[in-house]
Amino acid sequence: MCTCFIIPRDVLTQLSQDPELAAEVRKNLLDTAHISHELRELRTQAGLLTSVALASVDALEVVAAAPAVTVYDCKHTFTLPGTPVPNPGSSADPTAKRTFNETTGVAKFYKDVFGRNSIDNHGMTMMSSIHYGKNFNNAMWNGSQMIYGDGDGTIFIDFTNGDDVIGHELTHGVTQHSLQLEYKDEPGGLNESMSDCFGSMFRQWEKNQDVKHADWLIGHDIIGPTAKAKGITCLRDMAHPDAKHCLAPQPTKYSQITPGMDPHYSSGPPNLAFHTACMEYGGKSWDHIGKVWYRALTGSGAIPKMQMKQFAARTRQVAHQLYSGTPAVAAAVDKGWKHVGL
Amino acid sequence: MTRLLIERLGGFAGFGLPGSPLKSRGELDLSKLPPKVREAIEELFNKPPSAEPTRPGPVHPFRYRMTRQTESGSQTVEVPFDAVPSVVHESVKDVLD
Repeated sequence: MCTCFIIPRDVLTQLSQDPELAAEVRKNLLDTAHISHELRELRTQAGLLTSVALASVDALEVVAAAPAVTVYDCKHTFTLPGTPVPNPGSSADPTAKRTFNETTGVAKFYKDVFGRNSIDNHGMTMMSSIHYGKNFNNAMWNGSQMIYGDGDGTIFIDFTNGDDVIGHELTHGVTQHSLQLEYKDEPGGLNESMSDCFGSMFRQWEKNQDVKHADWLIGHDIIGPTAKAKGITCLRDMAHPDAKHCLAPQPTKYSQITPGMDPHYSSGPPNLAFHTACMEYGGKSWDHIGKVWYRALTGSGAIPKMQMKQFAARTRQVAHQLYSGTPAVAAAVDKGWKHVGL
Repeated sequence: MTRLLIERLGGFAGFGLPGSPLKSRGELDLSKLPPKVREAIEELFNKPPSAEPTRPGPVHPFRYRMTRQTESGSQTVEVPFDAVPSVVHESVKDVLD
Protein backbone atom coordinates (compact mmCIF):
# COMPACT_ATOMS: atom_id res chain seq x y z
CA MET A 1 0.00 0.00 0.00
CA CYS A 2 1.20 3.49 -0.66
CA THR A 3 -0.21 6.96 -0.70
CA CYS A 4 -0.17 7.71 -4.39
CA PHE A 5 -3.44 9.61 -4.17
CA ILE A 6 -4.08 9.12 -7.87
CA ILE A 7 -6.79 7.49 -9.89
CA PRO A 8 -6.38 3.73 -9.50
CA ARG A 9 -4.47 2.14 -12.34
CA ASP A 10 -7.39 -0.17 -13.22
CA VAL A 11 -9.68 2.81 -13.80
CA LEU A 12 -7.07 4.59 -15.94
CA THR A 13 -6.50 1.43 -17.99
CA GLN A 14 -10.20 0.82 -18.49
CA LEU A 15 -10.83 4.42 -19.47
CA SER A 16 -7.93 4.23 -21.93
CA GLN A 17 -9.86 1.47 -23.72
CA ASP A 18 -13.09 3.44 -23.96
CA PRO A 19 -13.85 3.84 -27.69
CA GLU A 20 -15.96 6.91 -26.99
CA LEU A 21 -12.87 8.88 -25.94
CA ALA A 22 -10.57 10.58 -28.46
CA ALA A 23 -7.38 8.69 -29.37
CA GLU A 24 -5.15 11.32 -27.83
CA VAL A 25 -7.12 11.23 -24.58
CA ARG A 26 -6.89 7.44 -24.48
CA LYS A 27 -3.11 7.56 -25.05
CA ASN A 28 -2.71 10.11 -22.23
CA LEU A 29 -4.70 7.89 -19.87
CA LEU A 30 -2.57 4.87 -20.72
CA ASP A 31 0.66 6.83 -20.27
CA THR A 32 -0.61 8.12 -16.89
CA ALA A 33 -1.44 4.57 -15.79
CA HIS A 34 2.06 3.38 -16.67
CA ILE A 35 3.79 6.31 -14.99
CA SER A 36 1.62 6.10 -11.88
CA HIS A 37 2.36 2.40 -11.51
CA GLU A 38 6.09 3.04 -11.71
CA LEU A 39 5.84 5.91 -9.20
CA ARG A 40 3.93 3.62 -6.84
CA GLU A 41 6.59 0.93 -7.16
CA LEU A 42 9.31 3.54 -6.61
CA ARG A 43 7.75 4.79 -3.39
CA THR A 44 7.28 1.28 -2.02
CA GLN A 45 10.86 0.46 -2.88
CA ALA A 46 12.12 3.66 -1.27
CA GLY A 47 10.55 2.60 1.98
CA LEU A 48 11.99 -0.89 1.76
CA LEU A 49 15.42 0.50 0.92
CA THR A 50 15.36 2.54 4.11
CA SER A 51 14.86 -0.58 6.21
CA VAL A 52 17.43 -2.67 4.36
CA ALA A 53 20.08 0.05 4.32
CA LEU A 54 19.74 0.80 8.00
CA ALA A 55 19.93 -2.87 8.86
CA SER A 56 22.88 -3.61 6.60
CA VAL A 57 25.53 -1.02 7.25
CA ASP A 58 26.97 0.68 10.28
CA ALA A 59 27.63 3.96 8.57
CA LEU A 60 26.45 4.98 5.15
CA GLU A 61 28.67 7.21 3.09
CA VAL A 62 27.63 10.83 3.58
CA VAL A 63 25.56 11.95 0.60
CA ALA A 64 25.94 15.69 1.13
CA ALA A 65 27.38 18.01 3.75
CA ALA A 66 24.04 19.79 3.97
CA PRO A 67 20.76 18.71 2.41
CA ALA A 68 19.31 20.19 -0.72
CA VAL A 69 15.78 21.52 -0.18
CA THR A 70 13.47 21.20 -3.18
CA VAL A 71 9.88 22.30 -3.74
CA TYR A 72 7.43 21.03 -6.35
CA ASP A 73 4.02 22.41 -7.35
CA CYS A 74 1.22 19.87 -7.83
CA LYS A 75 -1.00 22.63 -9.29
CA HIS A 76 -4.04 21.30 -7.43
CA THR A 77 -3.73 17.79 -8.82
CA PHE A 78 -2.90 14.55 -7.02
CA THR A 79 0.07 13.87 -9.28
CA LEU A 80 3.41 13.70 -7.49
CA PRO A 81 5.89 15.20 -7.21
CA GLY A 82 4.58 17.98 -9.45
CA THR A 83 6.43 20.69 -11.36
CA PRO A 84 9.78 21.81 -9.88
CA VAL A 85 9.67 25.35 -8.49
CA PRO A 86 12.87 27.15 -9.55
CA ASN A 87 14.59 29.10 -6.75
CA PRO A 88 11.78 28.47 -4.27
CA GLY A 89 13.41 30.62 -1.60
CA SER A 90 12.68 33.70 -3.71
CA SER A 91 9.49 32.47 -5.34
CA ALA A 92 6.56 34.83 -5.95
CA ASP A 93 4.38 32.02 -4.61
CA PRO A 94 4.32 32.58 -0.83
CA THR A 95 3.56 28.89 -0.23
CA ALA A 96 6.65 27.81 -2.16
CA LYS A 97 8.83 30.41 -0.42
CA ARG A 98 7.53 29.52 3.02
CA THR A 99 7.92 25.78 2.44
CA PHE A 100 11.52 26.25 1.31
CA ASN A 101 12.42 28.57 4.18
CA GLU A 102 10.79 26.52 6.93
CA THR A 103 12.16 23.21 5.61
CA THR A 104 15.61 24.77 5.49
CA GLY A 105 14.93 25.92 9.05
CA VAL A 106 14.08 22.39 10.17
CA ALA A 107 17.33 21.14 8.62
CA LYS A 108 19.25 23.82 10.52
CA PHE A 109 17.39 23.00 13.76
CA TYR A 110 18.31 19.33 13.58
CA LYS A 111 21.91 20.19 12.61
CA ASP A 112 22.56 22.93 15.17
CA VAL A 113 20.76 21.34 18.10
CA PHE A 114 21.28 17.61 17.58
CA GLY A 115 24.11 17.42 15.05
CA ARG A 116 21.86 15.63 12.59
CA ASN A 117 22.45 15.98 8.85
CA SER A 118 18.95 15.97 7.33
CA ILE A 119 16.19 13.42 7.76
CA ASP A 120 18.45 10.39 7.35
CA ASN A 121 21.53 11.89 9.03
CA HIS A 122 23.35 11.53 5.72
CA GLY A 123 22.28 14.69 3.92
CA MET A 124 19.32 13.37 1.94
CA THR A 125 17.43 15.92 -0.13
CA MET A 126 14.39 17.30 1.67
CA MET A 127 11.66 17.32 -0.94
CA SER A 128 8.22 18.91 -0.63
CA SER A 129 5.21 19.08 -2.91
CA ILE A 130 2.74 21.93 -2.42
CA HIS A 131 -0.76 22.81 -3.72
CA TYR A 132 -1.61 19.11 -3.56
CA GLY A 133 -5.22 18.47 -4.56
CA LYS A 134 -7.92 21.12 -4.40
CA ASN A 135 -8.72 22.72 -1.01
CA PHE A 136 -7.00 19.68 0.48
CA ASN A 137 -7.13 19.55 4.26
CA ASN A 138 -4.02 17.51 4.91
CA ALA A 139 -0.24 17.37 5.16
CA MET A 140 1.68 14.12 4.86
CA TRP A 141 5.00 12.35 4.82
CA ASN A 142 4.66 9.59 2.20
CA GLY A 143 7.83 7.67 3.00
CA SER A 144 10.16 9.76 0.88
CA GLN A 145 8.81 13.30 0.69
CA MET A 146 6.51 15.89 2.17
CA ILE A 147 3.11 16.74 0.71
CA TYR A 148 1.04 19.82 1.66
CA GLY A 149 -2.52 20.78 0.89
CA ASP A 150 -3.77 24.36 0.74
CA GLY A 151 -6.63 23.82 3.16
CA ASP A 152 -10.22 24.75 2.30
CA GLY A 153 -9.89 28.27 3.70
CA THR A 154 -12.65 27.67 6.27
CA ILE A 155 -11.74 24.80 8.59
CA PHE A 156 -8.06 24.99 7.72
CA ILE A 157 -5.80 27.41 5.90
CA ASP A 158 -2.64 26.54 3.98
CA PHE A 159 -0.90 23.78 5.92
CA THR A 160 2.52 25.29 5.20
CA ASN A 161 1.56 28.18 7.49
CA GLY A 162 2.38 25.98 10.48
CA ASP A 163 6.09 25.85 11.28
CA ASP A 164 5.25 23.11 13.78
CA VAL A 165 3.34 21.28 11.02
CA ILE A 166 6.44 21.30 8.81
CA GLY A 167 8.64 20.23 11.71
CA HIS A 168 6.11 17.53 12.64
CA GLU A 169 5.94 16.02 9.19
CA LEU A 170 9.70 16.04 8.60
CA THR A 171 10.19 14.36 11.98
CA HIS A 172 8.17 11.40 10.68
CA GLY A 173 11.03 11.00 8.25
CA VAL A 174 13.54 11.13 11.11
CA THR A 175 11.55 8.43 12.94
CA GLN A 176 11.47 6.34 9.79
CA HIS A 177 15.28 6.55 9.67
CA SER A 178 15.80 5.77 13.34
CA LEU A 179 13.37 3.89 15.59
CA GLN A 180 11.14 3.02 12.59
CA LEU A 181 8.09 2.98 14.84
CA GLU A 182 5.08 1.26 13.32
CA TYR A 183 2.17 3.56 12.70
CA LYS A 184 -0.31 1.65 14.84
CA ASP A 185 -1.09 0.90 18.49
CA GLU A 186 1.45 2.15 21.05
CA PRO A 187 4.32 2.52 18.58
CA GLY A 188 1.98 4.65 16.45
CA GLY A 189 1.18 6.90 19.39
CA LEU A 190 4.91 7.26 20.08
CA ASN A 191 5.54 7.98 16.40
CA GLU A 192 2.96 10.77 16.46
CA SER A 193 4.28 12.08 19.76
CA MET A 194 7.85 12.28 18.44
CA SER A 195 6.58 14.47 15.63
CA ASP A 196 4.57 16.71 17.96
CA CYS A 197 7.50 17.01 20.39
CA PHE A 198 10.09 17.89 17.75
CA GLY A 199 7.61 19.98 15.75
CA SER A 200 6.86 22.02 18.85
CA MET A 201 10.56 22.26 19.74
CA PHE A 202 11.32 23.56 16.23
CA ARG A 203 8.59 26.21 16.60
CA GLN A 204 10.00 27.27 19.97
CA TRP A 205 13.59 27.26 18.65
CA GLU A 206 12.64 29.49 15.71
CA LYS A 207 11.09 31.97 18.13
CA ASN A 208 13.81 31.42 20.76
CA GLN A 209 11.12 30.81 23.35
CA ASP A 210 11.61 29.18 26.72
CA VAL A 211 9.14 26.59 27.95
CA LYS A 212 7.03 29.13 29.85
CA HIS A 213 6.46 31.33 26.79
CA ALA A 214 5.82 28.52 24.31
CA ASP A 215 2.18 27.87 23.41
CA TRP A 216 2.60 24.06 23.18
CA LEU A 217 -0.22 24.03 20.63
CA ILE A 218 0.02 21.85 17.53
CA GLY A 219 -1.50 23.35 14.39
CA HIS A 220 -2.38 26.73 15.88
CA ASP A 221 -1.35 28.55 12.71
CA ILE A 222 -3.43 26.49 10.28
CA ILE A 223 -6.82 26.79 11.96
CA GLY A 224 -9.32 28.48 9.64
CA PRO A 225 -12.05 31.02 10.45
CA THR A 226 -14.91 28.52 10.72
CA ALA A 227 -13.02 26.47 13.27
CA LYS A 228 -11.89 29.56 15.17
CA ALA A 229 -15.50 30.78 15.37
CA LYS A 230 -16.29 27.55 17.24
CA GLY A 231 -13.53 28.19 19.76
CA ILE A 232 -10.97 25.85 18.19
CA THR A 233 -7.43 27.15 18.59
CA CYS A 234 -5.34 24.09 17.61
CA LEU A 235 -5.35 20.46 16.60
CA ARG A 236 -3.74 19.31 19.82
CA ASP A 237 -2.50 20.86 23.05
CA MET A 238 0.59 19.19 24.51
CA ALA A 239 0.03 20.93 27.86
CA HIS A 240 -3.68 20.03 28.10
CA PRO A 241 -4.38 17.16 25.70
CA ASP A 242 -8.06 16.90 26.67
CA ALA A 243 -8.83 20.63 26.36
CA LYS A 244 -12.02 21.66 24.58
CA HIS A 245 -10.22 24.18 22.36
CA CYS A 246 -8.52 21.25 20.61
CA LEU A 247 -9.98 19.96 17.38
CA ALA A 248 -9.05 16.47 18.55
CA PRO A 249 -9.01 16.17 22.38
CA GLN A 250 -6.80 13.33 23.59
CA PRO A 251 -6.37 11.06 26.63
CA THR A 252 -4.07 12.32 29.39
CA LYS A 253 -3.19 9.00 31.06
CA TYR A 254 -1.45 5.93 29.72
CA SER A 255 -4.22 3.78 31.23
CA GLN A 256 -6.69 5.31 28.76
CA ILE A 257 -4.81 3.98 25.73
CA THR A 258 -6.33 0.90 24.10
CA PRO A 259 -5.15 -1.32 21.22
CA GLY A 260 -6.15 -0.03 17.80
CA MET A 261 -6.44 3.56 18.99
CA ASP A 262 -5.62 6.14 16.32
CA PRO A 263 -2.03 7.39 16.79
CA HIS A 264 -3.24 11.02 16.83
CA TYR A 265 -5.28 10.05 19.85
CA SER A 266 -2.79 7.88 21.73
CA SER A 267 -0.02 10.47 21.40
CA GLY A 268 -1.70 12.48 24.16
CA PRO A 269 0.02 10.88 27.20
CA PRO A 270 3.59 10.87 25.80
CA ASN A 271 3.06 14.47 24.62
CA LEU A 272 2.01 15.44 28.13
CA ALA A 273 4.97 13.56 29.61
CA PHE A 274 7.36 15.56 27.42
CA HIS A 275 5.65 18.86 28.26
CA THR A 276 5.68 18.08 31.99
CA ALA A 277 9.37 17.16 31.92
CA CYS A 278 10.20 20.38 30.04
CA MET A 279 8.19 22.57 32.43
CA GLU A 280 9.76 20.85 35.43
CA TYR A 281 13.31 21.42 34.22
CA GLY A 282 12.67 24.83 32.67
CA GLY A 283 14.74 26.81 30.20
CA LYS A 284 14.59 25.90 26.51
CA SER A 285 12.88 22.62 25.63
CA TRP A 286 15.54 21.58 23.13
CA ASP A 287 18.52 22.16 25.45
CA HIS A 288 18.25 19.20 27.80
CA ILE A 289 14.94 17.36 27.73
CA GLY A 290 14.85 17.61 23.92
CA LYS A 291 18.33 16.09 23.73
CA VAL A 292 17.19 13.21 25.95
CA TRP A 293 14.24 12.58 23.65
CA TYR A 294 16.47 12.82 20.58
CA ARG A 295 18.95 10.27 21.95
CA ALA A 296 16.10 7.95 22.92
CA LEU A 297 14.68 8.28 19.39
CA THR A 298 17.93 7.80 17.49
CA GLY A 299 20.39 6.01 19.76
CA SER A 300 19.23 2.40 19.61
CA GLY A 301 18.48 1.49 16.01
CA ALA A 302 15.14 0.21 14.77
CA ILE A 303 12.58 -0.95 17.35
CA PRO A 304 9.35 -0.81 15.32
CA LYS A 305 7.14 -2.27 18.02
CA MET A 306 8.51 -0.20 20.91
CA GLN A 307 5.92 0.23 23.66
CA MET A 308 5.45 3.43 25.65
CA LYS A 309 6.77 1.81 28.82
CA GLN A 310 9.98 0.93 26.98
CA PHE A 311 10.38 4.42 25.59
CA ALA A 312 9.81 5.93 29.02
CA ALA A 313 12.48 3.63 30.48
CA ARG A 314 14.84 4.56 27.67
CA THR A 315 14.45 8.31 28.31
CA ARG A 316 15.07 7.77 32.04
CA GLN A 317 18.23 5.79 31.25
CA VAL A 318 19.44 8.36 28.69
CA ALA A 319 18.81 11.24 31.10
CA HIS A 320 21.06 9.57 33.69
CA GLN A 321 23.73 8.81 31.09
CA LEU A 322 23.77 12.16 29.30
CA TYR A 323 23.38 14.36 32.38
CA SER A 324 24.92 12.37 35.23
CA GLY A 325 26.20 15.64 36.73
CA THR A 326 22.77 17.30 36.53
CA PRO A 327 20.32 15.00 38.35
CA ALA A 328 17.51 17.54 37.88
CA VAL A 329 17.23 16.41 34.25
CA ALA A 330 16.53 12.78 35.15
CA ALA A 331 14.19 13.94 37.93
CA ALA A 332 12.22 16.04 35.43
CA VAL A 333 11.97 13.15 32.96
CA ASP A 334 10.81 10.85 35.74
CA LYS A 335 8.17 13.35 36.83
CA GLY A 336 6.93 13.67 33.26
CA TRP A 337 6.25 9.97 32.86
CA LYS A 338 4.81 9.55 36.34
CA HIS A 339 2.37 12.35 35.57
CA VAL A 340 0.80 10.21 32.84
CA GLY A 341 0.98 6.99 34.81
CA LEU A 342 4.19 5.42 33.49
CA MET B 1 -30.86 2.58 -6.18
CA THR B 2 -27.74 1.51 -4.28
CA ARG B 3 -26.58 4.16 -1.83
CA LEU B 4 -22.90 4.47 -1.13
CA LEU B 5 -22.12 6.27 2.11
CA ILE B 6 -18.58 7.56 2.29
CA GLU B 7 -16.49 8.78 5.21
CA ARG B 8 -12.91 9.98 4.81
CA LEU B 9 -10.82 9.21 7.88
CA GLY B 10 -7.39 9.97 9.25
CA GLY B 11 -4.97 12.58 7.99
CA PHE B 12 -2.82 14.99 9.96
CA ALA B 13 -5.84 16.62 11.56
CA GLY B 14 -7.45 13.31 12.50
CA PHE B 15 -10.74 13.26 10.61
CA GLY B 16 -13.28 11.03 12.35
CA LEU B 17 -11.38 10.74 15.63
CA PRO B 18 -13.44 10.03 18.77
CA GLY B 19 -14.57 13.30 20.29
CA SER B 20 -13.53 15.33 17.26
CA PRO B 21 -16.10 17.41 15.40
CA LEU B 22 -13.99 17.11 12.24
CA LYS B 23 -15.78 14.93 9.71
CA SER B 24 -15.57 14.29 6.00
CA ARG B 25 -18.68 12.72 4.50
CA GLY B 26 -20.25 12.09 1.16
CA GLU B 27 -22.86 9.99 -0.59
CA LEU B 28 -23.23 8.55 -4.08
CA ASP B 29 -25.93 6.70 -5.97
CA LEU B 30 -24.02 3.75 -7.43
CA SER B 31 -26.68 3.15 -10.08
CA LYS B 32 -25.99 6.59 -11.59
CA LEU B 33 -22.22 6.10 -11.98
CA PRO B 34 -20.56 5.12 -15.27
CA PRO B 35 -20.36 1.30 -15.44
CA LYS B 36 -16.57 1.11 -15.25
CA VAL B 37 -16.47 3.36 -12.17
CA ARG B 38 -19.28 1.39 -10.51
CA GLU B 39 -17.40 -1.86 -11.19
CA ALA B 40 -14.20 -0.43 -9.70
CA ILE B 41 -16.06 0.50 -6.50
CA GLU B 42 -17.84 -2.86 -6.31
CA GLU B 43 -14.48 -4.60 -6.67
CA LEU B 44 -13.34 -2.74 -3.54
CA PHE B 45 -16.20 -4.37 -1.63
CA ASN B 46 -15.51 -7.79 -3.13
CA LYS B 47 -11.74 -7.66 -2.55
CA PRO B 48 -10.93 -4.73 -0.25
CA PRO B 49 -7.24 -3.75 -0.25
CA SER B 50 -5.87 -3.35 3.25
CA ALA B 51 -6.14 0.13 4.78
CA GLU B 52 -3.54 -0.85 7.38
CA PRO B 53 -0.43 1.32 7.27
CA THR B 54 2.77 -0.39 6.19
CA ARG B 55 6.20 0.09 7.65
CA PRO B 56 8.16 2.08 6.74
CA GLY B 57 5.81 4.14 4.75
CA PRO B 58 3.26 6.85 4.50
CA VAL B 59 2.13 8.82 7.52
CA HIS B 60 -1.12 10.77 7.71
CA PRO B 61 -2.72 9.18 4.71
CA PHE B 62 -6.45 9.44 4.42
CA ARG B 63 -8.48 6.28 4.11
CA TYR B 64 -12.13 5.76 3.20
CA ARG B 65 -14.84 3.93 5.05
CA MET B 66 -17.52 3.08 2.51
CA THR B 67 -20.91 1.51 3.20
CA ARG B 68 -23.11 0.31 0.40
CA GLN B 69 -26.77 -0.04 1.21
CA THR B 70 -28.95 -2.29 -0.88
CA GLU B 71 -32.35 -3.88 -0.41
CA SER B 72 -30.63 -6.98 0.93
CA GLY B 73 -28.58 -5.19 3.56
CA SER B 74 -25.45 -3.14 4.01
CA GLN B 75 -21.72 -3.82 3.79
CA THR B 76 -18.84 -1.66 5.03
CA VAL B 77 -15.18 -1.66 4.00
CA GLU B 78 -12.16 0.54 4.77
CA VAL B 79 -9.77 1.13 1.90
CA PRO B 80 -6.68 3.27 1.23
CA PHE B 81 -7.10 6.76 -0.19
CA ASP B 82 -5.56 5.92 -3.56
CA ALA B 83 -7.70 2.83 -4.10
CA VAL B 84 -10.86 4.74 -4.96
CA PRO B 85 -11.95 6.47 -8.17
CA SER B 86 -11.84 10.25 -8.30
CA VAL B 87 -15.64 10.47 -7.98
CA VAL B 88 -15.28 9.27 -4.37
CA HIS B 89 -12.69 11.97 -3.59
CA GLU B 90 -15.00 14.57 -5.11
CA SER B 91 -18.07 13.38 -3.22
CA VAL B 92 -16.90 14.13 0.31
CA LYS B 93 -17.17 17.45 2.07
CA ASP B 94 -15.18 18.38 5.16
CA VAL B 95 -17.33 19.73 7.97
CA LEU B 96 -17.18 20.64 11.63
CA ASP B 97 -20.12 19.02 13.40
